[in-house]
Amino acid sequence: MLTKSFALLVISAMLPVATAALAEPTTYPLTIQNCGQEVTFTKAPERTVALGHNSAEIMFMLGLEDRMAGTAFWPNKVMPELEAANAKVEVLTVEFPTLESVLSKQPDFVAAMIVTLMGPDSKVAKREDFDNLGIATYLSPTACTTVADTDNTSGSKATSVYGIRKNLWTMDLLYQEIDDLSRVFDVQDRGQVLIEDFKMREAKLRAEFAKREDLTFLFWFSSPSPADDAYLTGGNGPSAYIADILGGSNALKTESEWPALGWEGIMATNPTVIVAAQVDRARWGLDDAQNKIDFLTSDPAVSQMEAVKAGRIAVISGASMNPSINTIYGAEQLAEQLKTFDLE
Amino acid sequence: MSIADHKEAGTGLLAVLLGIAMILLAISVALAAAIGDYSIGIDTVFLAVTNGLGLTTADIPPIEQSVVWDLRLSRALVAALAGAGLAICGVILQALLRNALAEPFVLGVSAGASTGAVAIIVLGIGAGSLSLSMGAFVGAFSAFAMVALLSNGATSGPNHTILAGVAASQLFNALTAYIVTTSGNAQQARDVMFWLLGSFGGVRWPDFQLLVIVVFLGLVICLLMARSLDAFTFGDEDAAALGVPVARIRLILFGVTAMVTATIVSMVGAIGFVGLVVPHAARYLVGPLHLRLLPASAAVGAIFLVLADIASRVVADQQTIPIGVVTAMVGVPFFAIILYRARPQQ
Amino acid sequence: MTIVAKDLVWGVRQKTIVADVSFTVAQGETLGLIGPNGSGKSSLLRLLAGLKQPQSGRVEILGQDIARVQRRELARQVAFVQQNAATDTNISVRDVVLLGRTPHRSALSGWTETDRAMVFAALERVDMTGHMAQPWQTLSGGERQRVHIARALAQTPQVMFLDEPTNHLDIHHQIEILRVVRDLKLTSVIALHDLNLAAMFCDRIVVLDGGTVRACGTPEAVLTHDLLRDVFRVEADVECASGYRPHIRFKAN
Repeated sequence: MLTKSFALLVISAMLPVATAALAEPTTYPLTIQNCGQEVTFTKAPERTVALGHNSAEIMFMLGLEDRMAGTAFWPNKVMPELEAANAKVEVLTVEFPTLESVLSKQPDFVAAMIVTLMGPDSKVAKREDFDNLGIATYLSPTACTTVADTDNTSGSKATSVYGIRKNLWTMDLLYQEIDDLSRVFDVQDRGQVLIEDFKMREAKLRAEFAKREDLTFLFWFSSPSPADDAYLTGGNGPSAYIADILGGSNALKTESEWPALGWEGIMATNPTVIVAAQVDRARWGLDDAQNKIDFLTSDPAVSQMEAVKAGRIAVISGASMNPSINTIYGAEQLAEQLKTFDLE
Repeated sequence: MSIADHKEAGTGLLAVLLGIAMILLAISVALAAAIGDYSIGIDTVFLAVTNGLGLTTADIPPIEQSVVWDLRLSRALVAALAGAGLAICGVILQALLRNALAEPFVLGVSAGASTGAVAIIVLGIGAGSLSLSMGAFVGAFSAFAMVALLSNGATSGPNHTILAGVAASQLFNALTAYIVTTSGNAQQARDVMFWLLGSFGGVRWPDFQLLVIVVFLGLVICLLMARSLDAFTFGDEDAAALGVPVARIRLILFGVTAMVTATIVSMVGAIGFVGLVVPHAARYLVGPLHLRLLPASAAVGAIFLVLADIASRVVADQQTIPIGVVTAMVGVPFFAIILYRARPQQ
Repeated sequence: MTIVAKDLVWGVRQKTIVADVSFTVAQGETLGLIGPNGSGKSSLLRLLAGLKQPQSGRVEILGQDIARVQRRELARQVAFVQQNAATDTNISVRDVVLLGRTPHRSALSGWTETDRAMVFAALERVDMTGHMAQPWQTLSGGERQRVHIARALAQTPQVMFLDEPTNHLDIHHQIEILRVVRDLKLTSVIALHDLNLAAMFCDRIVVLDGGTVRACGTPEAVLTHDLLRDVFRVEADVECASGYRPHIRFKAN
């Protein structure tokens, strides 16, 4: 199903006719509002550095790898569909990069995913560093923090990252980012296609899965060991979005986005479905999804949970529990498995 | 034996040592300006510096000018000031608390800074108009205030003060953990951790301007009280018997320590070992009297941190390792050597 | 009178430690302060030196109420030698004694020739001039105490208070230190444990018990069999050959 969407994307990109009517080509100089700052582009960037995997992956999806000079910060591996594109662009480091290494790529545009990578309190770079050198900058709308943004100039529905998410996370911020970037690079046709595709996939899932009061999901990110408290996801974050789109809700009613809970508490929530994350970093044994499943099915107490007995354990990528493009893929992964479960 | 035989032969030696220290510092800063991920030729580095100072108007690529002047030089100078500041604070605390293991973070200052930072990042206090640094500064100072209160204006003796510092550290660390685990998300938790780890990456010229005032003011105040600090050698009561206004001096010096440390922590995070090890090294070089110990510590601390920062940049390719790691790796063996050499000669 | 203590009262929380103590010390006199543990000797000494503030009563030194005198001014006249002042720093003997000049120098002025002369003179008095450059940590207990006294002397005081200065020293040094103090032309008050040493070296003795003055006078007058029994709870014979200081012979059973 994933490759089908990607094929759809490629084909659509090659048929400008249908989409050109919606998307006009960019006229330069182009000025956009981004996180309380005005950024002006005199032409489409040719040497972009993407700070953060989400910014990079969006650009790969827009087919922009030839106009990129480097990427940095990859806590998760790149999505399989985008591996080919990723291979064409130098990875500065998977950790936090140094400003000098970014500048040594002679960029004309720097796009960042989070304020830790580019922001007033960042130890890596501040927007002024690039502004002073005439390098255009872009900060993902999911990370906007300026005071001016309380008026929602970025159209952000969540509160600033300096605060608790008050509303349910949505893909809207990502659509905004895709839209902004496609305008900047004058690939609005591709951008529109991408957005439409995601929206379509979202709608499809919503249609397919009707709202059910009794459907709850427990999202298990990982644990240092089976005896330790497990790291779950809650609040209004991406996993809540996934649960919502599939007609259910999070088994945890806490406001915290990354609560830790002992297994007794988890059993008390009695979720309908347990969603185990496949985390690539391999720091803990339970990062691996199969280990999670083994634990769930073999532990004397935990295996008595209804969800485990009924075999309602699903696996999605850990990356999708972070607010990013990956989230919709995670929703789809979960949907596929959900369909095979007996929910009665 | 005449008095002349016992005249302090130290002053000339001290001047020479300080002169050497200044030269070493200049060399370290020059190295820091020349080394980095971005390859820049030595001649360009030199021109970038003279350009920045307004001595020349050479035509070099703006990026290279910016890297050398705005990034590397400001960073090196802030590192020097931070090293000097932390060292001076270490000297003061070791004197006032009469404990060779005392260092600036013993007063709970860095724990307070972390709580302040977390309150800004996670709870959104200040609604975006308060910067992270300000939050950290306020938090650091709150911890100090708590310690001062608990230890009765720091007059109830060194042990009380140390214990109050421990209590403050525990409290503020617990607060930080509570806020992060109940309200934060993984992203914020990571942001806070990274921010606190100690790094000069976010430093620019405005930080230098602020820090140079704070550190120099602190150093001057401490030098004015150097003789009083010596009087504390045999304890508070002894100092009082020598006519030193103990309570006032303690409060002023603790205040200076809090101010300098809080400023540094709010700017670059918590950097351990400097305040602990450098005073010992300096004492080994110039002896325990504070009129010499303070400038010597400042100089050694400055050089140490500049070199440590260079190391943190070159050890891992295109990536910065936390400076606390470097200072610990250097500080620990250094400390072992000092302890070994200073062992009692019985 | 060089030192006048009048109706001194001092205590911690609910407990009174010094209760209505009054006495005087004449110029040049060496006054011994004795009493059992908990009698308030240390606290009284600190009240006299201005290191603690009395709850009521006052102390006059050289005609001035010390509560009204600036700390630094007082330190130029009054020196205090602690029981066992210790430090971890490896400071040299000369620098320790130089500390005694602190009340005479303001923060910004350097050490002068006068200061160095005073230091030398002080060390001469305690016969430690040969150890000037020696680090503190290498000195013996007796040497350290002599240096402390030299430091007090460097303050060029008129009055010196010593809190059990011989406690941890061997007998040779105990006698030596007390001889030095006695031979100083200063007014001094020494708190002592050893009653015989007090008898040997003090012009007058004040006996403190439970915070009050039980006796005050010459050693012959004060150190009686009854006082020793009542205050110190020991049985003893006091020998008092004429021309000699009294000698206490303690009885073991």
